[in-house]
Amino acid sequence: MDLATKAKWDKAAPNFDLMSGYGPEKRWEPYKRAFFSQMGDGKILFLAVGTGLDIPFFPPGKHIVGIDISDKMLEKAQPRVEAYQGDLETRHMDVHHLDYPDGHFDQVFTSCTFCSVPQPIEGLKALRRVLAPGGELHMFEHTGSKVFPLSLMMTFMTQLSKRVGPEMNRDTVSNVEAAGFTSIRVEPVYLDVVKTIHAMAPPNA
Amino acid sequence: METRPYFVIGDLLATTAVGALAGLVTALLIPVGWNMMVAMLVGMALGMIVSLPGSFAFMPFFGAMEIMVPTMLAGMFAGMWIAMAAAMNPMSAGDGAGYGAAIGVGCFFVTYALNAWFRRGHRAPSAPEGAN
Repeated sequence: MDLATKAKWDKAAPNFDLMSGYGPEKRWEPYKRAFFSQMGDGKILFLAVGTGLDIPFFPPGKHIVGIDISDKMLEKAQPRVEAYQGDLETRHMDVHHLDYPDGHFDQVFTSCTFCSVPQPIEGLKALRRVLAPGGELHMFEHTGSKVFPLSLMMTFMTQLSKRVGPEMNRDTVSNVEAAGFTSIRVEPVYLDVVKTIHAMAPPNA
Repeated sequence: METRPYFVIGDLLATTAVGALAGLVTALLIPVGWNMMVAMLVGMALGMIVSLPGSFAFMPFFGAMEIMVPTMLAGMFAGMWIAMAAAMNPMSAGDGAGYGAAIGVGCFFVTYALNAWFRRGHRAPSAPEGAN
């Protein structure tokens, strides 16, 4: 397990909801409800649970395993996990070391996760491994911008933000492609910064 | 494009306030007589630094990237332009804040227009009943 990343998010856990619990979640609520409505009836991996702010947006009755690198975050998430009207199991796990066999899941969902995964392409390859051939990857992520001067600003912000949490200038769409996913589709949520990314594990992997 | 009044007003408030703060600080710190290019670069850095705590103050209420991006833009441009103006002629802190606020309002409209362009052809999902 990546202990530096774990320590960073353990430290953020006590005050995470204070910063993200109201404004960002209220703002993204319609988008996230639409995003998570794509959850199907098969086995779903959700990365990363955090304090469980996304759980109220999950459709009921799904079979979901949620993982997070921070056990402090998972402790905070517990009331939301228990309130979910479906089968939701949480596990303390690093995406780089997924404890599941190849092709175990039908869908993977991520939400504001790959701004923080230290080795994003390796992390995405790990997700591809546990996805069944033709399985779906759905990501709700913020990334860097390709528009000047937003790109300059976000590179500047990253120098500060990465010390306490996420990186602001990741090129997650290219990372998804580099990890071997196919049929990549991107939908903007806010500028070219917040977006949903939809992709498939290769059918014959 | 965002149409919920709570968030539209919050975005406008945040960009205006952060622009004003960046303008105020820049007007206070950049003396008359500086080289214009140096003043612009220092003002840009000052504006961006000031906008960080400014945006953090509004983010818990109104959103994450939707606040951070336009407020950083407001801080950056307010810092650049007011630093250049302050390097040419004396500028009071009040004038700096006023011009900064105006730049903040401009950045609000620019980011809304840019967002509408990026989202062209994509319909926003409807907000659930009772949402702000």
